[in-house]
Amino acid sequence: MVDLEKLTQAVGELDEEKVLAMLKEFVGTNPSGEEANKVVNACQQGMAIVGDLFEKGEYFVGDLIFAGELLTAAIDTLKPVLGGEKASKIGKIVLGTVEGDLHDIGKNIFASMAEAAGFEVYDLGIDVPADKFVEKVKEIKPQILGMSGVLTLALDAMKKTVDAVKEAGLRDDIKIIIGGNPVTDDACKQIGADAFTTNAAEGVKICQGWVM
Amino acid sequence: MIIIGEKINGTIPSVKKAIEAKDEEFIRDLAVRQAEAGADYIDVCAGTAPEIEEETLIWLMDIVQDAVDKPLCIDSPNPRTIEKVFPYAKRPGIINSVSEEGDKCEVIYPMIQGTEWQVIALTCDNRGIPSDVQTRVDITKIMVEKAQKYGITPDRIHIDPLVMALSADNKSLLNFIETLTAVKELYPTIKVTSGLSNISFGMPLRKVINQHFLTIAMYAGMDSAILDPCNRDMLTTLLATEALLGRDRFCRNFANAYRKNKIGPVKVVEK
Repeated sequence: MVDLEKLTQAVGELDEEKVLAMLKEFVGTNPSGEEANKVVNACQQGMAIVGDLFEKGEYFVGDLIFAGELLTAAIDTLKPVLGGEKASKIGKIVLGTVEGDLHDIGKNIFASMAEAAGFEVYDLGIDVPADKFVEKVKEIKPQILGMSGVLTLALDAMKKTVDAVKEAGLRDDIKIIIGGNPVTDDACKQIGADAFTTNAAEGVKICQGWVM
Repeated sequence: MIIIGEKINGTIPSVKKAIEAKDEEFIRDLAVRQAEAGADYIDVCAGTAPEIEEETLIWLMDIVQDAVDKPLCIDSPNPRTIEKVFPYAKRPGIINSVSEEGDKCEVIYPMIQGTEWQVIALTCDNRGIPSDVQTRVDITKIMVEKAQKYGITPDRIHIDPLVMALSADNKSLLNFIETLTAVKELYPTIKVTSGLSNISFGMPLRKVINQHFLTIAMYAGMDSAILDPCNRDMLTTLLATEALLGRDRFCRNFANAYRKNKIGPVKVVEK
């Protein structure tokens, strides 16, 4: 069995070579699905370290994007031994960049970090109209709806989406978080969201707080 | 960008003293620090009187090869000295240098025939350093054609166009770029290198000129540089330019260097 603490630490240090070498070796030992889940969990804990270091100003945006890629590569490496049974998920998030806005760097960082933290993320992409969000929330029944945007006009689209969610009678069942450049405390209140953030790592922490 | 670390050079007073005192530790430290700062090759230059140059070079080579896992750049104005110390190199590195002066090519080329060694080739000849682009290109042609006779392909040659002092020749950088462009048109795989300090000779704030020279030269396509990677300002310029030129994925080299306190304001490490 692989040394889980060392693996967590290697993920935290974004040491790609070391992480993938450890995982390849692990996969070679023909482990059980349960062992594989423990390993996924260790990787996720490593991502939490990455998030913390980002908040402290030790890591930068490029490191976060890389961390997302590293985690994807790690899960890909583990796929053959995960045996189709999903590692336990802590919650579902429906996510997208709102109508009229095409920016997705921040949203993508948040998505990969949220996945790393154990969420199932349904990413609707960019320029997502309010009814698309509502439709997906109906279908997936997530605990959390996440909206992202960079332009100031995104704030109107976010409000429109929250109103549409209310109209559909779904508002009481979900938490709504907004993220991106223009969001502020005031905007959050006006839009009627539950939380706001301009920092992907913090956003993931907020979401974790809601489901744990 | 290929970095050739320039610190172990007997013409630098502190190194000269270490060589005279046979201070191994001092040399070892220079090697380790340069390797840690990202040097790809460690230049060793004795800079002593000719009669002790050979033994000094061998002494330096042994220390560096024992201290770090980086190939050497063997640096001597005398090709026969290079020939004598050559067997003491444990792995292929770079010969610094040949030119069209005397019989340098004729001594060095056969020596590195059939090996993976690279060579720095200066664009000067018995008439000295040319001030025009065309002569530099002509000398390059002669050196590359000679190399081909020994099976040395252009990708193993680093052409050094010998940058002039900007204060004396205001078109110095422009000539460098023009030479670089012309040489690469002739031989697409050839490498172009340069020292960084000649350009600022006789000017105030030399470091600033050197840094900006590096940026522009890298953009123009310079492949390697002989520099001090332990110099924070130089390393900052190099890493920032690498990132700006799209050669630093997610800018992580830059960010990592900052985190490791190699660039940016000097952080006092709390132990």
